[in-house]
Amino acid sequence: MWHSLSRIFTMSVLVNLVNTATSCSTVLWRGFHTSPACHRLQKLSRLRVVDNSELGKQAMLEGKPPRIIQVYNKNGIGTTGDIVLCAIKGLKKKGVIVGVKAQQPVLLPRTDSNNVVLIEDNGTPLGTRIVVPVPSCLRTILKKKTHAKGADYTKVLSIATRFV
Amino acid sequence: MAFYVSRLSLGLELRRLGCKTMRCSGVDCRSSSSTSTTLAPRSLADDGKTDKLGRREKKNLMMSESVDKPDLNLRFKYPEMFPEPFMIWRNPVKEKLERKDMLARRNCISIPEFYVGSVLRVNLSNIHQPDKVSSFVGICIERKETGLRASITLRNVIDNLGVEIKLELYDPRLLKIEVLRLERRLDPHLRYLRDAPPEYSTFPLDMKPDINRSDEVPLNRIKVKLNPRPWTENWHKIEYKGIDESIDDLITNKWKARRELLRKPWEKYDLMKTYRATLPEEEMEEILTEIKDDVEEHDRKHSRRQS
Amino acid sequence: MRRLLVHQPPTVNCLWRETTMAALRTRVGCLLQGFFSSSKIPRSSFDIRFDGCVTQVRFKGGPATPRFRHPVWHVRKERAHYPENLTAENKEFIRETISQDFGPPIVAHGVKTYDSPLKNIEKIEPVQWFPGIRRTSTIAKKIGIQPLWLNDGTRVMTTLLQIVDNHVIKYNPPDQVIPLRRRHKVIPKKVLGKFGALIVGAESADPQEFTKNYCGLFRESGLPPKRKLARFLISPEAVLPSGTPLNAMHYRVGDYIDATGFTIQRGFQGVMKRWGFKGQPATHGQTKTHRRPGSIGGGAGHRVWPGKKMPGHMGGRHRTLRALKILRINTEYNVLYVTGQNIPGQINSYIYVHDSLSHHRWVKDAKDAWPLPTYIPTETEVPENLYASDVHPFDAPSITYEIVDTPVVRTGAKIAKAKGSKK
Repeated sequence: MWHSLSRIFTMSVLVNLVNTATSCSTVLWRGFHTSPACHRLQKLSRLRVVDNSELGKQAMLEGKPPRIIQVYNKNGIGTTGDIVLCAIKGLKKKGVIVGVKAQQPVLLPRTDSNNVVLIEDNGTPLGTRIVVPVPSCLRTILKKKTHAKGADYTKVLSIATRFV
Repeated sequence: MAFYVSRLSLGLELRRLGCKTMRCSGVDCRSSSSTSTTLAPRSLADDGKTDKLGRREKKNLMMSESVDKPDLNLRFKYPEMFPEPFMIWRNPVKEKLERKDMLARRNCISIPEFYVGSVLRVNLSNIHQPDKVSSFVGICIERKETGLRASITLRNVIDNLGVEIKLELYDPRLLKIEVLRLERRLDPHLRYLRDAPPEYSTFPLDMKPDINRSDEVPLNRIKVKLNPRPWTENWHKIEYKGIDESIDDLITNKWKARRELLRKPWEKYDLMKTYRATLPEEEMEEILTEIKDDVEEHDRKHSRRQS
Repeated sequence: MRRLLVHQPPTVNCLWRETTMAALRTRVGCLLQGFFSSSKIPRSSFDIRFDGCVTQVRFKGGPATPRFRHPVWHVRKERAHYPENLTAENKEFIRETISQDFGPPIVAHGVKTYDSPLKNIEKIEPVQWFPGIRRTSTIAKKIGIQPLWLNDGTRVMTTLLQIVDNHVIKYNPPDQVIPLRRRHKVIPKKVLGKFGALIVGAESADPQEFTKNYCGLFRESGLPPKRKLARFLISPEAVLPSGTPLNAMHYRVGDYIDATGFTIQRGFQGVMKRWGFKGQPATHGQTKTHRRPGSIGGGAGHRVWPGKKMPGHMGGRHRTLRALKILRINTEYNVLYVTGQNIPGQINSYIYVHDSLSHHRWVKDAKDAWPLPTYIPTETEVPENLYASDVHPFDAPSITYEIVDTPVVRTGAKIAKAKGSKK
């Protein structure tokens, strides 16, 4: 059992290396079915890092995408623009959710993977570029979450390449 | 109005008595939950001989019926004008008012003819953008609901990330709807593109419209190869015509056996199911005669704008 | 064993006899008891003879709970429709007679009605508003649900309430008002003398549908019988003469209303559906307990307290939804577009539309007052659609947002920008 599992794991890494950070579904593909797809972003959900930070890239290449260990809102279920705490490669890093799989209201985009951009505690992003399009409603949401004495989350917007 | 009410009530009485009522031929037995799909032109496309949009049926109509009757094939063009056939939720006055509102909105912006599988560009006013305007290009994978709630879902792959946007057709935030490629597909919806490789749903954002001006809407018979599991839905359970047969290699033998058990080949002979899931032809004709003039004017205006 | 078989024929229910033995003893007396114990005579015939006078008292409850019944003086509305075998001539005659009284059948404002010859209705004079004045409500039909969009682009779901052919039938002054009997409700006495009752009917119908007595209710007003009758408590100042039509212009866009309806019948339901209880887990050793209520009480009382939430009949009750805003009025079909998609009642059922009594929404000033006693038609033509100020009309051009110059937010990611990110 363990042997087969490890083989699958190495396979997933290989797949990972072939199409690096192309699409999350291939990266996370496993040969066995565990549970139906749950689109809720709650504690222990896996995310896909979409910025070009070293930490994020390494984690995705190793096939160990970050897990949510805290969602900073009232109901504990993350949506676009929510700040989360991630466990990534043995570290705790904050992140901003910039794309979700779950059903969205009218005119808000829904993406094929749950995307996150890693940030420091003061809101400075770890990377210098977001490689995928992000929803334009982030502008309003992050501006609302930024306060004078708290973290400045609008820095995430400045590294975005494309808005939809 | 008096005429309308009396005709409708007459039609209802007739139906209650089980008298002769012609039902429209567009019946989709598989997707009984979404009755609006009965209005999609899929069933006509199923018949391999009539590739054109109901050409044969049209001929028959012309031969047998008198000249005054409206062309029933127009129902594929404006599917949201026809109410859902749930009798307990229906009311003739409400439907009429809703149709009036829809036509009023169609006077302001052109909502062109398109089908599931067509590629659209939508310009909309977006409060989040600095210039307050945004646009989206994508393939229409789903067309849901009727009346003012009618909505579509557009899908595109941008920077290797699949993005979908749901739009309401009569939302006043829409500025312009443009058809870039007008074609139909084999299935009532294309949600399985979510689990297909990205090349099936990749369209450049600066795509130029290429529509060959002819009467028939072309039918795209492309078969989509799916990615391996896990999927967002169980695509193997229902026989989708647009999914490639290689789907059999992606599922286990146990699933295949289960799929055989789940099949319901008798449903297409279920007359009562068809009866409940479709509007009678007389009602369709009434609605079409009511909206005909406005809709024609709208089309004329739209074509003038384009040329 | 043999004896037993002889003395207990199969028709006799042994169990029943054991349980009612005590009752028999007390009622019949010692003599019969001797007969029983001696077991000399066949018992079957004996038992059957005493069946009539032995009553089981075990299952009898307390006094029957008081049920609301309409007063006996309410006239019966429906009549039996037996085949009358009328000839075509007779049918024609009946039709002519009806149209002589009430006018020919027409469809007005989207509703089937009669072209009533009531032309000489008393002219209504406007009434001065004062605090606490209450004018009449109307009867509407819930005809459907549709979205409307506001000017800022938000979508609001609205319910369409069509005011169907409403006419004032009768007015009962305050001293003649008899309050409805409610089981748990005590109607304050000060209300009783204060308000008169205005009887309003909706949807004219063929008199052949109803009983003679019911049709007699409408004789004074000269109107055809109505499908629905309702009684609204109004201030005596806001009285309307009988025969006055009420339409959607009774209300104004932007006003707030309360809508009362009869909720959808759900039948006998368990506690999870009826009261939203949580139920029990599906697995982990549960035996026959998944959707049950659990404990229903305990402690010192040893009783079930009145009002305990239990399974029972759900729906079919009068419920009021308060403070709903009128976003749009269609004057041609008399339709109110009202916020909310949870107005009680099925589609095509009757709803009472009142001026809102919600604390923040009632009219507190003369300048905000609605038309009193009702809308008085004038020479000027009313547009077909009236929209509230914040609603986006469907024939208006698309919504566009103004570009506002916002001050630049200091981001501090200047290096990131320099490395080649673009908008």
